Amino acid sequence: MPPVVDLSDGDLARAVAAREPGSGGLAEGELYRRFAPRVRLYGLRHLRDEDAAADLVQQVMLLTIEKLRDGSVRDADQIASFVLGTSRMMARDVRRQEWRRSKLRETYMPPPAPETRHGGELLDLDRLDACLARLAERDRLVVLLTFYAERTPREVQQELGVTEGNVRVIRHRALQRLRACVMSREEGP
Amino acid sequence: MQPCDAPLSDEMLLVYWLRETSTDETDQIEAHLFACAECAARLERTASLGMGLNELVRQGRLSGMVSPALLNRLQRDGFHLRLYALSPGDTVPCTVFPGDDFVAASLHADFSGVRSVSLSVTAPDDSTLREFEDVPVSGAEGELVWALPAAVVRQFPSMRLRLTLTSAGQDRAVLGEYVLDHSAFDPASG
Repeated sequence: MPPVVDLSDGDLARAVAAREPGSGGLAEGELYRRFAPRVRLYGLRHLRDEDAAADLVQQVMLLTIEKLRDGSVRDADQIASFVLGTSRMMARDVRRQEWRRSKLRETYMPPPAPETRHGGELLDLDRLDACLARLAERDRLVVLLTFYAERTPREVQQELGVTEGNVRVIRHRALQRLRACVMSREEGP
Repeated sequence: MQPCDAPLSDEMLLVYWLRETSTDETDQIEAHLFACAECAARLERTASLGMGLNELVRQGRLSGMVSPALLNRLQRDGFHLRLYALSPGDTVPCTVFPGDDFVAASLHADFSGVRSVSLSVTAPDDSTLREFEDVPVSGAEGELVWALPAAVVRQFPSMRLRLTLTSAGQDRAVLGEYVLDHSAFDPASG
Protein backbone atom coordinates (compact mmCIF):
# COMPACT_ATOMS: atom_id res chain seq x y z
CA MET A 1 0.00 0.00 0.00
CA PRO A 2 1.43 3.44 -0.92
CA PRO A 3 2.02 6.03 1.81
CA VAL A 4 -1.21 7.73 2.85
CA VAL A 5 -0.08 11.09 1.49
CA ASP A 6 -0.02 9.58 -2.00
CA LEU A 7 -3.50 8.10 -1.80
CA SER A 8 -6.37 9.61 -3.75
CA ASP A 9 -9.19 11.06 -1.63
CA GLY A 10 -11.28 7.95 -2.33
CA ASP A 11 -8.53 5.50 -1.38
CA LEU A 12 -7.81 7.51 1.73
CA ALA A 13 -11.47 7.36 2.75
CA ARG A 14 -11.43 3.59 2.15
CA ALA A 15 -8.31 3.28 4.32
CA VAL A 16 -10.07 5.12 7.15
CA ALA A 17 -13.18 2.99 6.70
CA ALA A 18 -11.20 -0.26 6.60
CA ARG A 19 -9.01 0.72 9.55
CA GLU A 20 -6.24 -1.41 8.10
CA PRO A 21 -3.65 -2.43 10.69
CA GLY A 22 -0.99 0.20 10.95
CA SER A 23 -2.73 2.64 8.62
CA GLY A 24 -5.94 3.61 10.41
CA GLY A 25 -4.43 6.39 12.54
CA LEU A 26 -2.22 7.63 9.75
CA ALA A 27 -5.09 7.67 7.29
CA GLU A 28 -7.31 9.57 9.69
CA GLY A 29 -4.52 12.08 10.26
CA GLU A 30 -4.07 12.55 6.54
CA LEU A 31 -7.83 12.91 6.02
CA TYR A 32 -7.87 15.60 8.68
CA ARG A 33 -4.83 17.35 7.19
CA ARG A 34 -6.46 17.38 3.76
CA PHE A 35 -9.98 18.41 4.59
CA ALA A 36 -9.81 20.40 7.82
CA PRO A 37 -8.41 23.53 6.07
CA ARG A 38 -11.21 23.37 3.50
CA VAL A 39 -13.87 23.02 6.18
CA ARG A 40 -12.28 25.92 8.07
CA LEU A 41 -12.43 28.13 4.97
CA TYR A 42 -16.04 27.12 4.42
CA GLY A 43 -16.76 28.06 8.02
CA LEU A 44 -14.97 31.38 7.76
CA ARG A 45 -16.76 32.24 4.54
CA HIS A 46 -20.20 31.42 5.89
CA LEU A 47 -19.83 32.18 9.58
CA ARG A 48 -17.19 34.96 9.47
CA ASP A 49 -15.87 33.89 12.85
CA GLU A 50 -12.65 32.09 13.70
CA ASP A 51 -14.01 30.28 16.76
CA ALA A 52 -17.13 29.16 14.97
CA ALA A 53 -15.04 27.94 12.02
CA ALA A 54 -12.77 26.01 14.39
CA ASP A 55 -15.81 24.39 16.01
CA LEU A 56 -17.15 23.48 12.61
CA VAL A 57 -13.87 21.77 11.66
CA GLN A 58 -13.93 19.60 14.77
CA GLN A 59 -17.56 18.60 14.37
CA VAL A 60 -17.38 17.89 10.64
CA MET A 61 -14.18 15.89 10.78
CA LEU A 62 -15.31 13.84 13.76
CA LEU A 63 -18.60 12.99 12.09
CA THR A 64 -16.89 12.21 8.78
CA ILE A 65 -14.50 9.74 10.42
CA GLU A 66 -17.33 8.15 12.41
CA LYS A 67 -19.46 7.77 9.29
CA LEU A 68 -16.58 6.26 7.36
CA ARG A 69 -15.90 3.77 10.14
CA ASP A 70 -19.50 2.64 10.49
CA GLY A 71 -19.91 2.29 6.75
CA SER A 72 -22.43 5.11 6.33
CA VAL A 73 -20.46 6.74 3.51
CA ARG A 74 -21.70 4.76 0.54
CA ASP A 75 -19.26 6.01 -2.08
CA ALA A 76 -15.77 6.69 -0.72
CA ASP A 77 -14.81 8.34 -4.01
CA GLN A 78 -17.35 11.05 -3.18
CA ILE A 79 -15.76 11.83 0.19
CA ALA A 80 -15.22 15.50 -0.77
CA SER A 81 -18.96 15.86 -1.45
CA PHE A 82 -19.72 14.13 1.83
CA VAL A 83 -17.49 16.53 3.77
CA LEU A 84 -19.04 19.52 1.97
CA GLY A 85 -22.58 18.31 2.69
CA THR A 86 -21.72 17.72 6.33
CA SER A 87 -20.16 21.20 6.52
CA ARG A 88 -23.35 22.74 5.14
CA MET A 89 -25.54 20.87 7.56
CA MET A 90 -23.40 21.56 10.60
CA ALA A 91 -22.75 25.21 9.76
CA ARG A 92 -26.42 25.86 10.41
CA ASP A 93 -26.09 24.42 13.93
CA VAL A 94 -22.80 26.22 14.59
CA ARG A 95 -24.39 29.47 13.45
CA ARG A 96 -27.07 29.09 16.07
CA GLN A 97 -24.53 28.15 18.78
CA GLU A 98 -22.27 31.00 17.75
CA TRP A 99 -25.09 33.49 17.99
CA ARG A 100 -25.62 32.44 21.61
CA ARG A 101 -21.89 32.46 22.31
CA SER A 102 -21.34 35.88 20.78
CA LYS A 103 -24.02 37.28 23.04
CA LEU A 104 -22.14 35.87 26.04
CA ARG A 105 -18.82 37.12 24.69
CA GLU A 106 -20.13 40.62 24.08
CA THR A 107 -21.22 40.69 27.68
CA TYR A 108 -18.20 39.17 29.40
CA MET A 109 -15.12 39.03 27.17
CA PRO A 110 -13.21 41.07 24.60
CA PRO A 111 -12.99 39.31 21.21
CA PRO A 112 -9.78 37.27 20.75
CA ALA A 113 -7.37 38.31 18.02
CA PRO A 114 -7.91 35.97 15.06
CA GLU A 115 -4.95 34.02 13.80
CA THR A 116 -4.50 34.92 10.16
CA ARG A 117 -2.55 32.58 7.97
CA HIS A 118 -1.19 33.09 4.50
CA GLY A 119 -0.45 29.95 2.54
CA GLY A 120 -0.27 27.95 5.77
CA GLU A 121 2.06 30.43 7.47
CA LEU A 122 1.09 33.12 9.93
CA LEU A 123 0.47 36.37 8.12
CA ASP A 124 2.91 39.10 9.08
CA LEU A 125 0.61 41.99 10.00
CA ASP A 126 3.44 44.53 10.09
CA ARG A 127 4.31 43.59 6.56
CA LEU A 128 0.68 43.73 5.46
CA ASP A 129 0.42 47.18 7.04
CA ALA A 130 3.47 48.37 5.11
CA CYS A 131 2.18 46.81 1.89
CA LEU A 132 -1.21 48.44 2.34
CA ALA A 133 0.47 51.83 2.76
CA ARG A 134 2.21 51.32 -0.58
CA LEU A 135 -1.06 51.11 -2.48
CA ALA A 136 -2.46 54.18 -4.23
CA GLU A 137 -5.07 55.95 -2.07
CA ARG A 138 -7.91 54.94 -4.37
CA ASP A 139 -6.85 51.29 -4.31
CA ARG A 140 -6.34 51.28 -0.55
CA LEU A 141 -9.80 52.71 -0.02
CA VAL A 142 -11.41 50.19 -2.33
CA VAL A 143 -9.67 47.32 -0.53
CA LEU A 144 -10.70 48.58 2.92
CA LEU A 145 -14.26 49.30 1.86
CA THR A 146 -14.49 45.81 0.39
CA PHE A 147 -12.95 43.76 3.17
CA TYR A 148 -13.47 45.78 6.31
CA ALA A 149 -16.66 47.72 5.56
CA GLU A 150 -18.01 44.77 3.49
CA ARG A 151 -19.28 47.07 0.72
CA THR A 152 -20.37 45.68 -2.63
CA PRO A 153 -18.89 47.11 -5.84
CA ARG A 154 -22.16 49.03 -6.33
CA GLU A 155 -21.87 50.60 -2.90
CA VAL A 156 -18.19 51.43 -3.45
CA GLN A 157 -19.18 53.04 -6.74
CA GLN A 158 -21.59 55.34 -4.92
CA GLU A 159 -19.03 56.05 -2.23
CA LEU A 160 -16.07 56.88 -4.45
CA GLY A 161 -17.65 57.88 -7.74
CA VAL A 162 -15.83 55.11 -9.60
CA THR A 163 -17.79 52.86 -11.96
CA GLU A 164 -18.79 49.43 -10.69
CA GLY A 165 -16.65 47.72 -13.31
CA ASN A 166 -13.71 49.86 -12.32
CA VAL A 167 -14.21 48.97 -8.68
CA ARG A 168 -13.86 45.28 -9.58
CA VAL A 169 -10.73 45.95 -11.62
CA ILE A 170 -9.15 48.11 -8.90
CA ARG A 171 -10.04 45.54 -6.25
CA HIS A 172 -8.59 42.66 -8.23
CA ARG A 173 -5.33 44.46 -9.04
CA ALA A 174 -4.91 45.89 -5.56
CA LEU A 175 -5.28 42.45 -4.07
CA GLN A 176 -2.73 41.03 -6.48
CA ARG A 177 -0.29 43.77 -5.47
CA LEU A 178 -0.93 43.19 -1.80
CA ARG A 179 -0.43 39.46 -2.18
CA ALA A 180 2.79 39.91 -4.14
CA CYS A 181 4.08 42.44 -1.63
CA VAL A 182 3.28 40.26 1.38
CA MET A 183 4.94 37.27 -0.23
CA SER A 184 8.13 39.08 -1.28
CA ARG A 185 9.76 38.69 2.12
CA GLU A 186 13.26 39.35 1.00
CA GLU A 187 12.38 42.80 -0.31
CA GLY A 188 11.82 45.37 2.44
CA PRO A 189 8.50 47.27 2.48
CA MET B 1 -0.97 18.02 -3.64
CA GLN B 2 -2.83 16.89 -6.75
CA PRO B 3 -2.50 19.44 -9.58
CA CYS B 4 -5.79 21.10 -10.50
CA ASP B 5 -7.01 20.45 -14.03
CA ALA B 6 -9.58 23.28 -13.99
CA PRO B 7 -8.36 25.94 -11.55
CA LEU B 8 -10.80 28.60 -10.42
CA SER B 9 -9.70 32.11 -11.36
CA ASP B 10 -8.44 34.47 -8.66
CA GLU B 11 -11.42 36.74 -9.40
CA MET B 12 -13.86 33.86 -8.95
CA LEU B 13 -12.26 32.95 -5.62
CA LEU B 14 -12.43 36.59 -4.55
CA VAL B 15 -16.10 37.10 -5.41
CA TYR B 16 -16.89 33.79 -3.71
CA TRP B 17 -15.11 34.91 -0.55
CA LEU B 18 -16.88 38.27 -0.66
CA ARG B 19 -20.24 36.50 -0.97
CA GLU B 20 -20.99 38.09 -4.32
CA THR B 21 -21.75 34.80 -6.07
CA SER B 22 -25.22 33.44 -6.77
CA THR B 23 -26.41 30.34 -4.92
CA ASP B 24 -25.70 28.14 -7.95
CA GLU B 25 -22.21 29.61 -8.38
CA THR B 26 -21.53 29.19 -4.67
CA ASP B 27 -22.56 25.53 -4.81
CA GLN B 28 -20.36 24.87 -7.85
CA ILE B 29 -17.37 26.65 -6.36
CA GLU B 30 -17.70 24.85 -3.03
CA ALA B 31 -17.97 21.48 -4.74
CA HIS B 32 -14.72 22.29 -6.54
CA LEU B 33 -12.96 23.64 -3.44
CA PHE B 34 -13.71 20.56 -1.37
CA ALA B 35 -12.27 18.33 -4.07
CA CYS B 36 -9.27 20.52 -4.94
CA ALA B 37 -6.51 21.25 -2.44
CA GLU B 38 -4.75 23.63 -4.83
CA CYS B 39 -7.71 26.01 -5.24
CA ALA B 40 -8.53 25.72 -1.53
CA ALA B 41 -4.97 26.81 -0.73
CA ARG B 42 -5.31 29.76 -3.12
CA LEU B 43 -8.58 30.75 -1.48
CA GLU B 44 -6.88 30.59 1.91
CA ARG B 45 -4.32 33.16 0.75
CA THR B 46 -7.08 35.55 -0.37
CA ALA B 47 -9.06 34.97 2.80
CA SER B 48 -6.05 35.55 5.02
CA LEU B 49 -5.38 38.91 3.37
CA GLY B 50 -8.97 39.95 4.05
CA MET B 51 -8.80 38.78 7.65
CA GLY B 52 -5.40 40.43 8.06
CA LEU B 53 -6.81 43.75 6.85
CA ASN B 54 -9.64 43.51 9.34
CA GLU B 55 -7.18 42.69 12.09
CA LEU B 56 -5.09 45.77 11.24
CA VAL B 57 -8.17 47.95 11.63
CA ARG B 58 -9.17 46.10 14.81
CA GLN B 59 -5.73 46.93 16.23
CA GLY B 60 -6.31 50.61 15.45
CA ARG B 61 -3.69 50.70 12.70
CA LEU B 62 -5.81 52.35 10.02
CA SER B 63 -4.05 55.40 8.63
CA GLY B 64 -4.69 57.64 5.64
CA MET B 65 -7.73 58.83 3.77
CA VAL B 66 -11.00 57.25 4.79
CA SER B 67 -14.43 57.54 3.22
CA PRO B 68 -17.69 58.28 5.07
CA ALA B 69 -18.72 54.61 4.80
CA LEU B 70 -15.45 53.52 6.36
CA LEU B 71 -15.89 56.09 9.09
CA ASN B 72 -19.44 54.87 9.77
CA ARG B 73 -18.27 51.28 9.97
CA LEU B 74 -15.53 52.18 12.46
CA GLN B 75 -18.07 53.90 14.68
CA ARG B 76 -20.51 51.02 14.33
CA ASP B 77 -17.76 48.64 15.46
CA GLY B 78 -17.30 50.67 18.61
CA PHE B 79 -14.11 52.55 17.79
CA HIS B 80 -13.85 55.96 19.38
CA LEU B 81 -13.19 58.58 16.75
CA ARG B 82 -12.25 62.15 17.54
CA LEU B 83 -13.36 64.07 14.50
CA TYR B 84 -12.41 67.66 13.69
CA ALA B 85 -14.46 69.28 10.93
CA LEU B 86 -12.76 72.03 8.93
CA SER B 87 -13.97 74.38 6.20
CA PRO B 88 -11.51 76.16 3.91
CA GLY B 89 -9.54 78.80 5.84
CA ASP B 90 -10.31 77.28 9.25
CA THR B 91 -7.76 76.93 12.01
CA VAL B 92 -8.95 74.36 14.53
CA PRO B 93 -7.32 73.51 17.86
CA CYS B 94 -7.01 69.78 18.24
CA THR B 95 -5.56 67.11 20.48
CA VAL B 96 -6.04 63.47 21.41
CA PHE B 97 -7.59 62.14 24.59
CA PRO B 98 -7.29 58.88 26.52
CA GLY B 99 -9.73 56.38 25.08
CA ASP B 100 -9.51 57.73 21.52
CA ASP B 101 -8.83 55.07 18.88
CA PHE B 102 -8.53 57.36 15.88
CA VAL B 103 -8.20 61.07 15.25
CA ALA B 104 -9.63 62.36 12.01
CA ALA B 105 -9.84 65.65 10.14
CA SER B 106 -12.94 66.07 8.01
CA LEU B 107 -12.12 68.52 5.24
CA HIS B 108 -15.02 70.26 3.55
CA ALA B 109 -14.66 72.02 0.21
CA ASP B 110 -16.49 72.69 -3.02
CA PHE B 111 -15.77 69.58 -5.02
CA SER B 112 -17.93 70.60 -8.02
CA GLY B 113 -16.52 69.03 -11.16
CA VAL B 114 -13.69 67.42 -9.25
CA ARG B 115 -13.22 63.68 -9.45
CA SER B 116 -10.09 63.32 -7.39
CA VAL B 117 -7.87 65.50 -5.25
CA SER B 118 -4.46 65.63 -3.64
CA LEU B 119 -3.83 66.42 0.00
CA SER B 120 -0.57 67.75 1.31
CA VAL B 121 0.25 67.95 5.02
CA THR B 122 2.93 70.48 5.86
CA ALA B 123 4.91 70.99 9.08
CA PRO B 124 5.61 74.44 10.62
CA ASP B 125 9.01 74.54 8.88
CA ASP B 126 7.25 74.05 5.50
CA SER B 127 8.53 70.52 5.11
CA THR B 128 5.99 68.12 3.66
CA LEU B 129 5.00 65.44 6.15
CA ARG B 130 2.54 63.50 4.02
CA GLU B 131 1.15 63.68 0.52
CA PHE B 132 -1.89 61.82 -0.73
CA GLU B 133 -2.36 61.74 -4.47
CA ASP B 134 -5.44 61.00 -6.53
CA VAL B 135 -7.87 60.62 -3.67
CA PRO B 136 -11.36 59.97 -5.10
CA VAL B 137 -14.24 62.28 -4.16
CA SER B 138 -17.83 61.30 -4.87
CA GLY B 139 -19.80 64.51 -5.09
CA ALA B 140 -19.88 68.31 -4.92
CA GLU B 141 -21.07 68.24 -1.32
CA GLY B 142 -18.49 65.70 -0.32
CA GLU B 143 -16.00 65.72 2.46
CA LEU B 144 -12.60 64.19 2.67
CA VAL B 145 -11.44 62.56 5.86
CA TRP B 146 -7.84 62.04 6.91
CA ALA B 147 -7.53 59.62 9.82
CA LEU B 148 -4.62 58.63 12.02
CA PRO B 149 -4.37 56.06 14.80
CA ALA B 150 -4.67 57.81 18.15
CA ALA B 151 -1.55 55.93 19.26
CA VAL B 152 0.41 57.75 16.55
CA VAL B 153 -1.06 61.17 17.33
CA ARG B 154 -0.16 60.73 21.00
CA GLN B 155 3.50 60.87 19.96
CA PHE B 156 3.12 64.22 18.17
CA PRO B 157 4.56 67.36 19.83
CA SER B 158 2.49 70.53 19.88
CA MET B 159 2.59 71.99 16.37
CA ARG B 160 0.56 73.59 13.63
CA LEU B 161 -0.10 71.36 10.63
CA ARG B 162 -1.14 72.96 7.36
CA LEU B 163 -3.33 70.90 5.10
CA THR B 164 -3.74 71.87 1.45
CA LEU B 165 -6.33 70.30 -0.78
CA THR B 166 -5.85 70.63 -4.53
CA SER B 167 -7.76 69.17 -7.44
CA ALA B 168 -5.90 66.39 -9.20
CA GLY B 169 -5.11 66.76 -12.87
CA GLN B 170 -3.44 69.49 -14.85
CA ASP B 171 -4.99 72.60 -13.32
CA ARG B 172 -4.15 71.69 -9.67
CA ALA B 173 -6.54 74.32 -8.31
CA VAL B 174 -6.40 74.87 -4.57
CA LEU B 175 -9.74 73.79 -3.09
CA GLY B 176 -8.98 74.63 0.50
CA GLU B 177 -6.29 75.32 3.08
CA TYR B 178 -6.76 74.26 6.68
CA VAL B 179 -4.71 74.44 9.86
CA LEU B 180 -4.74 71.91 12.67
CA ASP B 181 -3.34 73.57 15.78
CA HIS B 182 -2.28 70.46 17.63
CA SER B 183 -1.58 70.32 21.37
CA ALA B 184 0.57 67.45 22.54
CA PHE B 185 -1.19 64.62 24.34
CA ASP B 186 -1.61 65.13 28.05
CA PRO B 187 -2.10 61.74 29.78
CA ALA B 188 -3.88 63.50 32.63
CA SER B 189 -6.48 64.98 30.28
CA GLY B 190 -9.88 63.57 29.56
